[in-house]
Amino acid sequence: MAENIIIIGGGPCGLEAAKTLRDLGYAPIILEKKQELGGHLRKWDRLFPEGVQAKQVLKELTSGLKGIEWHTSVDIETIEKSRKGYTVTLSTGVSYNSPALLLTNGFKLFPAEKKEEYGYGIYDKVITNADLEQYFAKGKDNVIKKPKTIGFVHCVGSRDEKVGNRQCSKVCCATAVKQACEMKELFPDATIYSFYMDLRLFGRNYEDMYLTAQKKYGIRYIRGRVSEVSEDIDGSLIVKAEDTLLCKPLRLKIDLLVLMTGIVPENSSASLAQQLNIELGEDGFYKPKDTILEPCMAENNGLFMAGACTGPKTIPETLSEARAAAVQIHNYLNKSWISGIL
Amino acid sequence: MRERFLVGFDPFVLPFLCGMVFVLAYCLFYLVRILAQLSAEDRKKFFKSLLLPSNALKNIRDMFLDCLIHVKLWKRNPNLGYMHSSIAFGWFMLIVIGHIETFMYVPGKAGLFYYPIFFRYFMEVDNQELKGSLLFFLMDFFLLIVLSGILLAMIKRIWRRFFGMRRTTRLSITDHIGLYSLWAIFPLRWIAEGFTAGVAGGSFMTIPINMLLKNFMSNPENFNIAWWLYSIALGTFMFALPFSRYMHIPAEILLIPMKRAGLKVYHPRKGFALAQIYTCPSCGVCIDACPMSANKQNCKDTTVYLVRQLKRNNARRMNAMSNKCLMCGKCQEVCQIGLQSYDIRMNIRERARYNIQLKHNYLASYNPDIKQAKVLYYAGCMSSLTPVIGRSIKKLLSIAKVDYTQMDEGGGICCGRPLILAGKKAEAQAMIAKNTEIIKASGASILLVSCAICYRVFKNEYKLSGIRVMHYTEYFNELIKKGKLPITKGNVRYAYHDPCDLGRGCGIYDEPREALSFVGGLAHAEKERAMSVCCGGSIGSLTLNHEDRKPIVEASISNMLYSNPDYIVTACPLCQKTFSMYSPVEVLDFAQALCNGLQEKDVN
Repeated sequence: MAENIIIIGGGPCGLEAAKTLRDLGYAPIILEKKQELGGHLRKWDRLFPEGVQAKQVLKELTSGLKGIEWHTSVDIETIEKSRKGYTVTLSTGVSYNSPALLLTNGFKLFPAEKKEEYGYGIYDKVITNADLEQYFAKGKDNVIKKPKTIGFVHCVGSRDEKVGNRQCSKVCCATAVKQACEMKELFPDATIYSFYMDLRLFGRNYEDMYLTAQKKYGIRYIRGRVSEVSEDIDGSLIVKAEDTLLCKPLRLKIDLLVLMTGIVPENSSASLAQQLNIELGEDGFYKPKDTILEPCMAENNGLFMAGACTGPKTIPETLSEARAAAVQIHNYLNKSWISGIL
Repeated sequence: MRERFLVGFDPFVLPFLCGMVFVLAYCLFYLVRILAQLSAEDRKKFFKSLLLPSNALKNIRDMFLDCLIHVKLWKRNPNLGYMHSSIAFGWFMLIVIGHIETFMYVPGKAGLFYYPIFFRYFMEVDNQELKGSLLFFLMDFFLLIVLSGILLAMIKRIWRRFFGMRRTTRLSITDHIGLYSLWAIFPLRWIAEGFTAGVAGGSFMTIPINMLLKNFMSNPENFNIAWWLYSIALGTFMFALPFSRYMHIPAEILLIPMKRAGLKVYHPRKGFALAQIYTCPSCGVCIDACPMSANKQNCKDTTVYLVRQLKRNNARRMNAMSNKCLMCGKCQEVCQIGLQSYDIRMNIRERARYNIQLKHNYLASYNPDIKQAKVLYYAGCMSSLTPVIGRSIKKLLSIAKVDYTQMDEGGGICCGRPLILAGKKAEAQAMIAKNTEIIKASGASILLVSCAICYRVFKNEYKLSGIRVMHYTEYFNELIKKGKLPITKGNVRYAYHDPCDLGRGCGIYDEPREALSFVGGLAHAEKERAMSVCCGGSIGSLTLNHEDRKPIVEASISNMLYSNPDYIVTACPLCQKTFSMYSPVEVLDFAQALCNGLQEKDVN
């Protein structure tokens, strides 16, 4: 009988790893705390750089799960390490054994309410990048009604020591560029401002996206952070910022403000790390055995991790890591059988 | 009783005598120096207050209670109190009774410093008399008291918790010399008096040790060595005293009347401040109290060490330490001698030179159009960053049908406190003047402030005669009591955090609690009111970064969660913002909590 491999987290990373492991002859078990598989991908409409439909990617990932056992709405109670591997016990009392454990529990979006000066949850016309994707997917929203001026605020909860996050969330710059262009397509008459500190468009074709945003769509990029947002009597927003290139303070009236919330560790990361004795980085993400040579392996034997639980990543990066982790698990188990540990 | 020697002198008294003369000369020099450093006005004020009979009585009472009995330490921890008062009061009584004896038996020798101290050496008993044995008893009794204090002092070095202290000061070399010589003085005195107890008499302490080794101890040839050691211990202590923490013994006598005269610190290490520096006994109570020392960090930057650097005039450390401080004022609150660390640090900051040019010429062209109203509301910059607070306040004001207007809607002028805290008091005057102008022109009778930081500066630095400056906790409490706010009591429990600038800074503790008690139950924090712990976000610190502050914030939150409240409530937007970052329970602003208590029908 095929060996069970437990995967914690059923997002793109967990799904891809499960498929690879199944193809290598194992019987993976995905444990997902949410009601459905797919993770954050479910919330997104289109993906940069080409604007591929997220739905399509999701469909691809969630189909063909034959030979993979998966459980949703799962609540993990304890994880124990034994000589033979790991035992995961759920709150229902069911427990699973596995010679190796793969963590793909991903990330969560920075809760924008924490940055109170931007007024998310206080002013109606302040939304997040995730809210905007929902709008793109559904095509309607109570708040977004023909906005004339739209603002995008980069780095909300990223590179901001005031909220305790020093790290760059890596993917939001590209997302912001993508979303700004999409908004311009929907509302061609709108003026769109993007407030940024640095634009980090690192991937292939991302720079082209940015140039298109400026040339074709006329998005106005303003280097400077938004300091505070207040509401005008007519319900529109007043944004105070600084244009650091012109060395001038700015005051803009805006109809819709989109906060590009960053990527922070999933709540479960801290408790899993404690139970499994994994070291966390200062940013709260798992620390792999070696950031260059062994990015998918934990210090302790038989424990692997992939995807955004070790830091912000794009979907293709996540998927490659998922496959890499699956192969590493395979190699680890082969070696262990040969040396008779298991 | 009669004298044993005609000369009335022995060389062994020299170490003590030199030490005593040295201490007196040193103290006299510094007394003159401190008085000379005071401004002519302050000096006049000081002497005037000395001459006032009611002040003189109060001074004497304070000297007795603070210097000898250490009442404040008793309140803090009885063991700590006993330890200090047994040594101070016991020693004082030994000196007093020694003098009484000298006056009674050899009035001619009373003028000699050493005679009352070494009385037992110079005297011998001829016949037993009742009054003599009472004095003998008292001398031994107070010696026992002092010895018990010394024993506790030794225990304190290894078992601080017994005295309610987690951390204590790391002593300097001269402090160590002073400490060990102080410990040595009284056992040596006991032994020395034990030697002479056979000839000079004694009581329940000294006679038994004399009896114990009768042949050895009653031999006059052996007397001198014991008395020499006693005198050397005294002499060492005296020579170490001006350079050690024991300088607080003479200095406090000066500080008490100076404080009563109401002098102000005008320089970090001159005049009144110098008297305070010398009076610091390095007890280290401020180390535990300092919010920065959470997680055993920054202990070296607490007030007791600042005082040490001030003594050494180490400019680099002095600046670094005063810039790091959160300026919460807690050390001043717990300080046994009332060292005005806040003023001293402000004086250090005011003397620091930065290469920054501040341009305030834009102020002249700023003329906001403010509608006339009874209440002028100033939100301040922090309230703009926490929009919920402003919203809640405006809601409460409109429900109470208050005729109000906001002074800084859409941006106003800073209250000036951040500049003042950075030591730029003169530069802040430009803002203070402009704001005063705006406030006076508004015709309002009440200035309502929702930020504790702004409130403190409006209250203390502005001259707004005829206008009542009110913190919103005071104002809303009044509105509730007048029945203007339809509030109902819910069954949630609030733990109220005293913001430093509001509580210790302006003495407002009761109003917010009273108002909150109308909307819910109050849960006690472990330390509250004057003992409240700074949230850690204070703009007072110029150098602590966010990472350094994290343990401070977490320690302060755990203080608030002492009796498991449903919410933490604070009356300062900065505290609210700081706590919200790490608090496991929701942190509400005072106005938000009041809004929660509004009756349903009034919430539109």
